Amino acid sequence: MAEPILEVRGLVKHYPLTRGILFKRQIGAVKAVDGVDFHLDRGETLGIVGESGCGKSTVAKMLVHLERPTAGEIRYKGEDITRLSGKALKAVRRNIQMVFQDPYTSLNPRMTVGDIIGEAYDIHPEVAPKGERRKRVQHLLDVVGLNPEYINRYPHQFSGGQRQRIGIARGLALRPEIIVADEPVSALDVSVQAQVINLLARLQDEFDLSYIFIAHDLSIVRHISDRVGVMYLGRIVETGRDAEIYDHPTHPYTQALLSAVPVPDPEAREHRERIMLTGDVPSPTDIPSGCRFRTRCWKARERCALEVPALAVPEEFRDTSGPAAHDSACHFAETLPMWRSAPGRAVPPEEGGEHGSGPE
Amino acid sequence: MLLEVRDLHVEFHTRDGVARAVNGVSYAVEAGETLAVLGESGSGKSVTAQAVMGILDMPPGRITAGEVLFEGRDLLKLKEEERRKVRGAEMAMIFQDALSSLNPVLTVGDQLGEMFTVHRGMSRKDARAKAVELMDRVRIPAARERVRQYPHQFSGGMRQRIMIAMAMALEPKLIIADEPTTALDVTVQAQVMELLAELQREFRMGLILITHDLGVVADVADKIAVMYAGRIVESAPVHDIYKAPAHPYTRGLLDSIPRLDQKGRELYAIKGLPPNLTRIPPGCAFHPRCPMAQEVCRTDVPPLYDVTESDAERGSACHFWRECLHG
Ligand SMILES: Nc1ncnc2c1ncn2[C@@H]1O[C@H](COP(=O)(O)OP(=O)(O)OP(=O)(O)O)[C@@H](O)[C@H]1O
Ligand SMILES: Nc1ncnc2c1ncn2[C@@H]1O[C@H](COP(=O)(O)OP(=O)(O)O)[C@@H](O)[C@H]1O
Ligand code: SF4
Ligand code: SF4
Ligand SMILES: [Mg+2]
Ligand SMILES: [Mg+2]
Repeated sequence: MAEPILEVRGLVKHYPLTRGILFKRQIGAVKAVDGVDFHLDRGETLGIVGESGCGKSTVAKMLVHLERPTAGEIRYKGEDITRLSGKALKAVRRNIQMVFQDPYTSLNPRMTVGDIIGEAYDIHPEVAPKGERRKRVQHLLDVVGLNPEYINRYPHQFSGGQRQRIGIARGLALRPEIIVADEPVSALDVSVQAQVINLLARLQDEFDLSYIFIAHDLSIVRHISDRVGVMYLGRIVETGRDAEIYDHPTHPYTQALLSAVPVPDPEAREHRERIMLTGDVPSPTDIPSGCRFRTRCWKARERCALEVPALAVPEEFRDTSGPAAHDSACHFAETLPMWRSAPGRAVPPEEGGEHGSGPE
Repeated sequence: MLLEVRDLHVEFHTRDGVARAVNGVSYAVEAGETLAVLGESGSGKSVTAQAVMGILDMPPGRITAGEVLFEGRDLLKLKEEERRKVRGAEMAMIFQDALSSLNPVLTVGDQLGEMFTVHRGMSRKDARAKAVELMDRVRIPAARERVRQYPHQFSGGMRQRIMIAMAMALEPKLIIADEPTTALDVTVQAQVMELLAELQREFRMGLILITHDLGVVADVADKIAVMYAGRIVESAPVHDIYKAPAHPYTRGLLDSIPRLDQKGRELYAIKGLPPNLTRIPPGCAFHPRCPMAQEVCRTDVPPLYDVTESDAERGSACHFWRECLHG
């Protein structure tokens, strides 16, 4: 198998919590990212889903060097880039670019669209010589479906969807190989969301891009991803090909998450089974021992408090080759009968079985 | 009929001219029924709701025509003082952003209790007991202790449940929930929606649920009103509309959500953008974006055609609703 273009191992980001004014004493840490592993193959899309605060954006920022990891490796074509500096770092950074969630705040209101997109050429003049920049930027505007004549306009003259296109054009300016998109369509209306998703898919083919696509909308992630990682409280708890995760989830958190997604089909509502999670996500300053999901898990037993479950193919599926044989960090991983058809789809009651719903 | 909005018009005077935010909206809700109002941002969902609640900013807003009949009484004709008695006691509203709709310097107990001291003349002690009861009811753990805490000390989901408790306090007949779960994670959204549905069943309240999420609508609504540029373009029972939309805009919205069985294919995308409300296109406001538009659409405003097929009423504001419905 070819080497992945990006490989992340044991990635950690802890923000120290301090007390005192004269003498800052560390009294704990916000464990925003607490041991994340994944890889990204060339030309593929890895989707990362998870609820607010689970560490998705922090992972993204470390990938593009906006945050320095507390520990762990980020290998780009086999080379750990967390320790790079100077010229070598600059060369790598060019190849991993980010598109941000909020098209309203991520663009400088006092800069023209041309300056926003072309700014990167000041740092990397080798990509576009001075005389060519304007033409390059106009071409990029055209590529993302905006009128090249808009080059001298300011961000406030554009709608949310158009601003997101500007953000994407900026991400493409240095012709990167990897794009990390952090909730790129979450702030957009349904009809505009579809336009931007289609654009991202087209650009991937056209420029042979590899994507890390972060979102909390599970249907959109499935639509665009080849593989998916589910995050909970700073860790990936389950990962696999999209059909493995969506049709054969084995981790209780993934199962609950998928069952909570409203399905746009009123016929389904009478037959649906929902796993209602109780309680809130624990604070990342105080992560439960053993399995970090155990305070909300309806299957938790003694072992779950004592032993951290590893992210690996669970034992009972190890000798099978079916879709349930994918990485899942749970001591008691199992598929549920309600997933014999796709999640959220109407499940005939006789198939639903009693395992379906968790306790109230 | 519990609530009936008739031909409501609202405009705003802005620097760019007159923004026609609501242009002849009519909808109705019965006791125990859930009406979902669906539409993209700026389509006039919240402004309509604010006019119904009597909390519209006037100026710059102005209600230029229409009626808001609550149990047969036109609320728009009431004096502010009478209106205030209706608000909270008879109808209540839940907003998207619970944090900014709760008072940050008062404990949640004081805010919940205020409903009872102000509207029901209860003593502070009794009101406090009521507040604890309500917090229990919306499943805030350790309500007796947490009643003394401030809004920022609660998670987003809990704050939204406190908002629901506040709206429910006086057992109103109608609740308007404006994007109540948009800011919440899916697992929390499911908890909040379930709670709302349960309370609604118990008290047989009418519920107007404003949202842009077609999944949420399919889960809870009895009927839907789809808004575009300040008008209702389609109004139908929930099952009918998902089976076969009678308006091209509704169809576009339904087609643009990713479907599991069409993975990887290009998503359908409605081209263009919603119009600027100071310059709504003539004829059918949707015509610049509509794949079915004909010459007549540029000139003639489509009325809400009666497209009822079963026993439940259905309307579509499209000249070519037949082609859309059967095409
Ligand atoms: N600079 C910081 N200092 C301290 N804590 C931080 C910092 N940045 C993030 N955190 C905390 O780290 C955790 C993860 O944050 P992150 O922004 O990565 O979440 P996320 O998964 O992107 O959430 P969302 O879906 O809301 O965007 C949160 O608890 C957050 O409050
Ligand atoms: N206080 C206000 N002043 C001026 N314009 C307003 C005001 N409130 C709402 N509008 C305008 O009315 C239109 C409809 O808004 P709204 O009802 O909030 O839309 P939505 O369907 O997203 O809830 C928008 O164009 C909005 O900008
Ligand atoms: S390890 Fe235990 S607590 Fe964790 S998900 Fe599995 S069953 Fe639940
Ligand atoms: S009236 Fe014409 S433009 Fe409007 S929705 Fe119908 S076909 Fe489209
Ligand atoms: Mg984030
Ligand atoms: Mg609104």
